[in-house]
Amino acid sequence: MAKIVLDPVTRIEGHLRIETQVAAGRVTEAWSKGEMFRGFEALLQGRDPLDAPVITQRICGVCPISHALSSCKAIESATGLNVPANGRYLRNLILGANYLQSHILHFYHLSALDFVHVEALLDYSGRDPVLLDLKHWAQSELNTNRVLPVAPFLPKLPGDYAQNAQWNLGALSNYVEALDIRREAHRMAALVGGKMPHAATLVPGGVTCATDADMLEDFRSRLRRVRRFIERCYIPDVLQAARLYPEYATVGRGVARFLSYGVFDEESTTWMPAGTLNGRGHERLDLSLIHEDTTTGFYRGNHKSHPQNAPSPIPQTDKPRAYSWLKAPRYNGLSYEVGPLARIMVAAAAGEPSIVDPLTDFLREARLGQDQLASTLGRHAARAFEAQLIAARMENWLDAVTPGAPAILPYQNSDAGNGVGLIEAPRGALGHWISLKSGRIGSYQCIVPSTWNFSPRDGDQNPGPVESALVGTAVNPEFKGLEVARVVRSFDPCIACAVH
Amino acid sequence: MKMTRRTFLKDAGIFVAALGLEPVWLPKMADALEDMAYGRAPILWLQGLSCSGCSVSLLNSESPGPADLITRYLSLYFHQTLSAATGPAAKDAVERAIAKGGYILVVEGAVPLTLKEACKFADENFADQLLRAARSAQAVVSTGTCAAFGGIPAAPPNLTGAAGVDAALKQAGLRRPLINLPGCPAHPAWIVGTLMQVLKVGMPDLDAHLRPKIFYDHLLHEQCPLFALYQKKHFAENLGEEGCLFKMGCQGVITQADCSLRGWNGGVSWCIRGRSNCIGCARPEFALDPRFAFFRLNEENLF
Ligand code: SF4
Ligand code: SF4
Repeated sequence: MAKIVLDPVTRIEGHLRIETQVAAGRVTEAWSKGEMFRGFEALLQGRDPLDAPVITQRICGVCPISHALSSCKAIESATGLNVPANGRYLRNLILGANYLQSHILHFYHLSALDFVHVEALLDYSGRDPVLLDLKHWAQSELNTNRVLPVAPFLPKLPGDYAQNAQWNLGALSNYVEALDIRREAHRMAALVGGKMPHAATLVPGGVTCATDADMLEDFRSRLRRVRRFIERCYIPDVLQAARLYPEYATVGRGVARFLSYGVFDEESTTWMPAGTLNGRGHERLDLSLIHEDTTTGFYRGNHKSHPQNAPSPIPQTDKPRAYSWLKAPRYNGLSYEVGPLARIMVAAAAGEPSIVDPLTDFLREARLGQDQLASTLGRHAARAFEAQLIAARMENWLDAVTPGAPAILPYQNSDAGNGVGLIEAPRGALGHWISLKSGRIGSYQCIVPSTWNFSPRDGDQNPGPVESALVGTAVNPEFKGLEVARVVRSFDPCIACAVH
Repeated sequence: MKMTRRTFLKDAGIFVAALGLEPVWLPKMADALEDMAYGRAPILWLQGLSCSGCSVSLLNSESPGPADLITRYLSLYFHQTLSAATGPAAKDAVERAIAKGGYILVVEGAVPLTLKEACKFADENFADQLLRAARSAQAVVSTGTCAAFGGIPAAPPNLTGAAGVDAALKQAGLRRPLINLPGCPAHPAWIVGTLMQVLKVGMPDLDAHLRPKIFYDHLLHEQCPLFALYQKKHFAENLGEEGCLFKMGCQGVITQADCSLRGWNGGVSWCIRGRSNCIGCARPEFALDPRFAFFRLNEENLF
């Protein structure tokens, strides 16, 4: 039996090692190993509650907004604080803008190079200035005796990259444009957040920044630019990938159980609905069914705890059977997949009309059956579709903001109380659990999207969603794990988040 | 849009202005860009205990923009978030770079000095990889407060023994030219400006904390647009109120950084313009003292 080890998995966020066992050309078993630990939960103890949104958003430089808002919501729930409508819509706008930068970054800069034949550039004979520029640069690099020419695009793993010149060149040109568009989405987020990454204005009770008509119009015109890119490039590129790599609609299926906390607060509920799917249609979320299992994590003791009363982690690297810094979150004892795919599946099952109707059209164009969405390709498709939906919805949120009206209510600390803040990060369901003691943080626990998806085995030896999704993947030994990397990246791993 | 001297001069012009340099620097900076464009600017970018926020911040660079940076000006031998190379190809790229040497080593994230297994790369502890890479580097740039001073991972109880790169090199008795670029994250202009200067002009003028004076010389407070309100004692009393934020615990009075002049994200805003405190993210002590809250609503907050 052969072993494929990918370490480091690059073009993700954080430090991840994937090991697989291969027999007869297919993956038979997989292990997902988080390779970094910082100890956020321990360092939050004893601090002022208002420190929590500041500190927890530094769990991740790609999705800081989700952490900040999850933390604010946890404190609001512990102190009984509300957020005025303006604050809610401004939060949606900053969160939405960060979703867009994250999804675009993921497709073009983190994933596309697994499917694009970069060397196609050298044969380019057209007149597109961006591609010509790239071609000249690559050629001049290759003509020197540099140690690593055309980095960071080369070297890469060998593999079955697309032979379609139009796709290769189009994707490379859009890679370049996407860099500017992603930055533009960050400027939008900074208009509300003060700065990005790591915003300044997100506090319990609302958002500190002032809103005026100019700021909203500035936001709107930037949004239009990002939205045009999504419609003109992102969606067509994903549809094209579906045509060029149809086999990936059956690869990387996973556990086919989905969980979403729901996201984007509107009048009385979230626009994207909360719920779980486990083969029986949409079910309501029951938070008491969540626990984290530390049996295979590098932490002292084999706990199975609900996050509200979990012990603060104590590292132990020589623990028998442990192989990852991640804990194993379970819902009702089972592993669940989270992320854009889960959000779309849950929304569709809940019958949310603003999502179901466009989804039908999108799937028809992608020539994907809804049952094929749970796949490597389906995850990319769901993410692109979601980016399109959110960009459109953001126009409504902009309309709902009243310039000059208060976006924040006064914060008052509580001596004691428990709170939970649930949100969806770009990568999936994110929850922060806080308890206050003598006005300070008594305990703090985060269960993060990639903790669900990249979970190691639990105490019963049941694998996590990615470990399950890899099983059965056909691999060509000459490709040294490219197919494995494709499945793994479709989950958009964020390991700094997952471990924190 | 082939690269010509004019392209370099144009980019250099924006740059010289952004850095607040005299016009005599223009040809020098254009030279620097030209050199960088012809692949004489190898960067090895490693991540330790980080959130990747400084990498994301680099991609927010305004002039040159991110596309020009990646494909033209910087030769990113290896960057964990951007390199096509993955798994064995990635490990190989890093090894080839180290064997060749001569690059600028950019480090993002703190170094776990006691619990070394808390950060690994291709089966090697990051703390060891860092020393190997630093030995062959022409200079080391610690980007962000984590790499510079330990940052949030170093806040107590600091379960991993997280520390800045300078501390890690000192512990190993290794002396390399080193620059600290604190900030959570570091501003893209601080990163790109420093790299350009090191590559062409040499080591910048550094202060006692090894920070380039050009970016970190002044107190934020002195350059703050709200300084006039501060003098008039027009203070905000609650989160989100208008006024100088001093009474909310704004750390602009003890933070050296040029955010108030530069702004963030293309200048669309910055912390205090968002009516929020400067939380002192560029301070060496950032986040380290749990008793020193970022917002000091419940105290007579005087420093
Ligand atoms: S807002 Fe902060 S930095 Fe600006 S004047 Fe007031 S105290 Fe100083
Ligand atoms: S204003 Fe203060 S908190 Fe904001 S980025 Fe600058 S140094 Fe950091």
